[in-house]
Amino acid sequence: MSGRIAGLDDATRGPRELIEFTFAGEKVTAWAGDSIAMALWAGGTTAVRSSSKNGSPRGVLCNMGICYECLVVVDGRTVRSCTTPVRAGMVVEPGGRP
Amino acid sequence: MSVDDTILDADVGIVGAGPGGMAAANVLAQAGLSVVVLDEGMRAGGQIYRQLPEGLVNHGKIAEPPSHDGGHALLERFAAAKVTLVSHATVWDAAPGKLWFEHGERSRLLRCRHIVLAPGGYDRCVPFPGWTLPGVVTAGALQVMVRGFGVVPGRRALVAGSGPLLLPTVTALLGAGVEVVAALEASSRWRALRAAPAVLGNALKRREAMWYARQLWKAGVKLRWGWTVFACEGDGRVQRAIIGKVDADGRPRRGTELKLDVDVVGAGFGLVPSVELALRLGCTSRFDAARGGHCVVVDEQQRTSVPGVFAAGEICGIGGAEVAAAEGQLVAEAVIALAKGSTVSAEAQRRAQKERKAADTMLRAFAPLPGLAELARPDTIVCRCEDVTRLGAQQAAQLHGDSLRAIKVGCRAGMGPCQARICGPSLQAMATGDGRRAMDLPVVQVPVKPVRTETMLDAPT
Repeated sequence: MSGRIAGLDDATRGPRELIEFTFAGEKVTAWAGDSIAMALWAGGTTAVRSSSKNGSPRGVLCNMGICYECLVVVDGRTVRSCTTPVRAGMVVEPGGRP
Repeated sequence: MSVDDTILDADVGIVGAGPGGMAAANVLAQAGLSVVVLDEGMRAGGQIYRQLPEGLVNHGKIAEPPSHDGGHALLERFAAAKVTLVSHATVWDAAPGKLWFEHGERSRLLRCRHIVLAPGGYDRCVPFPGWTLPGVVTAGALQVMVRGFGVVPGRRALVAGSGPLLLPTVTALLGAGVEVVAALEASSRWRALRAAPAVLGNALKRREAMWYARQLWKAGVKLRWGWTVFACEGDGRVQRAIIGKVDADGRPRRGTELKLDVDVVGAGFGLVPSVELALRLGCTSRFDAARGGHCVVVDEQQRTSVPGVFAAGEICGIGGAEVAAAEGQLVAEAVIALAKGSTVSAEAQRRAQKERKAADTMLRAFAPLPGLAELARPDTIVCRCEDVTRLGAQQAAQLHGDSLRAIKVGCRAGMGPCQARICGPSLQAMATGDGRRAMDLPVVQVPVKPVRTETMLDAPT
């Protein structure tokens, strides 16, 4: 089970801001500062797209913007979910290509 | 000049805000030069000193090795330095004095008299059956999850691969409360002993080794030498891993397999230097297997073959954070020498040489094992962008020739958005069955990293 490491909050700032967005039509709760990939992963979603060639599920591989395996579509644009920060109300759909 | 300007001007443009880039920026700014640092991450630190997002504090929850004290010092100095940091910046093209980048969905240009390349490296991937399953990630990816985002990667983890970076991956997982079911180092214990002189001869590395030994011992995790991951299985995501022993060359010894229930796997077989921008600039490179592949050639002052272009850290060959920081200091002194007619200190040169020598000794003991290419079966996907199997790559190599370029033309392997960063290091070994051969120079094309078409069309000149 994936999730969040407890007790990392900065006491001087109070609890972190929660953000909501949707992925494939489902509501996802994230923390401000999350990447799309990490918000999904913490919520248990590891597959973010299917390969357009053989249809197999794919997700994060490198988590640092190198591999382009975690592509998703945000507002019609294909982006790397591991380097794209979440925004409130963002509509995220599974990516297609590479 | 504002950070939001389309065109930025600076004396020095630095690519990368890891230890090398930060060390260089700190020294350059102190000497009064204007510095802009372009970095693809969300915050400064690079991968090794990755920071949690704003508003999160470690509070000692995720244990850090002794070497990270140096990282905190660099980060503090960098935060206080008179340096312009542009995060979320993807550099996609370069020419002497110019760095084109995408930031905030806009096409931007940094004009600078000197370029310092410190882009770091990335995990070397070795394809094995099931490595495309969600939940199977690189060792670096797991560290980013834990130390960069405070995310718990899973419940039961397998860590496999080779080299010193397996240890921080294990301790990051332990810090996140993950059960590390197995930690597998493909090198044999005897081969790894060749790293001993580097560890014993360096006080920090000695402390570091003791610290990791103690962390693993406390958690009851035993590092298995000469073992690796053979395959992963699962329905829609990883649920099981098959592990086994490898011979001295890394070839899997079939019949030694064990099955483990896991929900996350981190595989990292060392690092590959990120040389693409340097090659685009025309810098001379050379192949050094122990240093991770193609490395940019620099002289004793970190100058590349292209005037005005300098390089520090992993791009000159994998060496770790201490090498990067030392070379970052040296590269800054070399740039200042050029700009102001001063001289480079003997101390900076001596320190960089010393760190590099220790790192080379260490890495020779973990040089990529050619036999690991045998982990892939004929139907195992090698190029994930284009879903090319090992057999497909082999057939292309037979038909078109066994260079990376010929394989690419023959089967599209390496043609996807990662531009062969993931498959390149192992593709040739697998297609030709010759893991010891020096790999071809990667084919560098513009954009060096995928960016929006508008970014290229709107590029300022």
